[in-house]
Amino acid sequence: MTADLLDPLIHVPARLRIVATLAALPDGDALSFTRLQKLIGLTPGNLITHLRKLEHAGYLSTEKNGSGVASHTSVALSNRGRAALDAYTAALRDLIAGL
Amino acid sequence: MNEEQDKDAKATVDEGGGFDPRAAARLLEQTTRRAKRQFEFPSPLLSLIQAAALLAAYGAIWLSVRGQNPYSGPSGTALLELYAFVGVAAVAVGLDGRRARAGVSGRSSQQGWMRAIPFMAAFLVVYVLMGALRFDGFSTAIVYGIIPAAGPLITVGAAAAGYAAARNDWQMLGFAIAVVAVGAGSAFAGPSGVWGVAGVCLCALVVCSAIAKAWLRRA
Repeated sequence: MTADLLDPLIHVPARLRIVATLAALPDGDALSFTRLQKLIGLTPGNLITHLRKLEHAGYLSTEKNGSGVASHTSVALSNRGRAALDAYTAALRDLIAGL
Repeated sequence: MNEEQDKDAKATVDEGGGFDPRAAARLLEQTTRRAKRQFEFPSPLLSLIQAAALLAAYGAIWLSVRGQNPYSGPSGTALLELYAFVGVAAVAVGLDGRRARAGVSGRSSQQGWMRAIPFMAAFLVVYVLMGALRFDGFSTAIVYGIIPAAGPLITVGAAAAGYAAARNDWQMLGFAIAVVAVGAGSAFAGPSGVWGVAGVCLCALVVCSAIAKAWLRRA
């Protein structure tokens, strides 16, 4: 088994932290962009880029509420994203066991 | 999301080339643990505050009623102290809840108040029962001693046990059953002793639960 079997969308330090952080929330809950950024410690632009990649893959959904300065974005892990993290964790476990 | 803030972000975004699987496993574990600690409610600190408040509240009543013969019930000062400690615990719960839920929205937030309803009903039913027993001429020792001290532990503990069983939360189920056992067992200590026994046992239970939770999180 090689590292190529690990989901390349998740097997990136920043995206792994994003997905793992969102997975710690109860199913159906979303986290504000601001708090996610605080927890992950990325710049807004960096975080947006990673979120967009995950969103395009259907691993998470973003929702924008309000408009102008009062607007805020919340991010939630989708069922597909949760399943992808579970599969990634299992693959990682198998890979490490084989090393 | 403000895309203007970091136009060069795409250039700095790291990809996973050369990301060691062992490092990934460590990062995954650390991130999950940290996130769970951030979203955890109640936190171990809150549990310690609750334990202290419970001990102080029950202790204030016990100090007020110990040695009473016949039992006449807690003094007004002791009841004020009780409500003050309950208030402190309530403020601590509010602050800790706000910390844990900051920026979190969705299903569990919306269901928060719904979940509290059975617990509040279980708590209030004790006071209804006290009124009914007083109306039927039961002694002060029963109505203002054993029932208000042990009753909430039994009713709220039973409600919590049902809630935990429905969610397959075995840790909470164990804690809830222990609370019911403390309530039922302390009722045998008499109208004065029940306050002391319940206070000490409940405080010990909450502290042990917080330690167990912290230990399980590290394991």
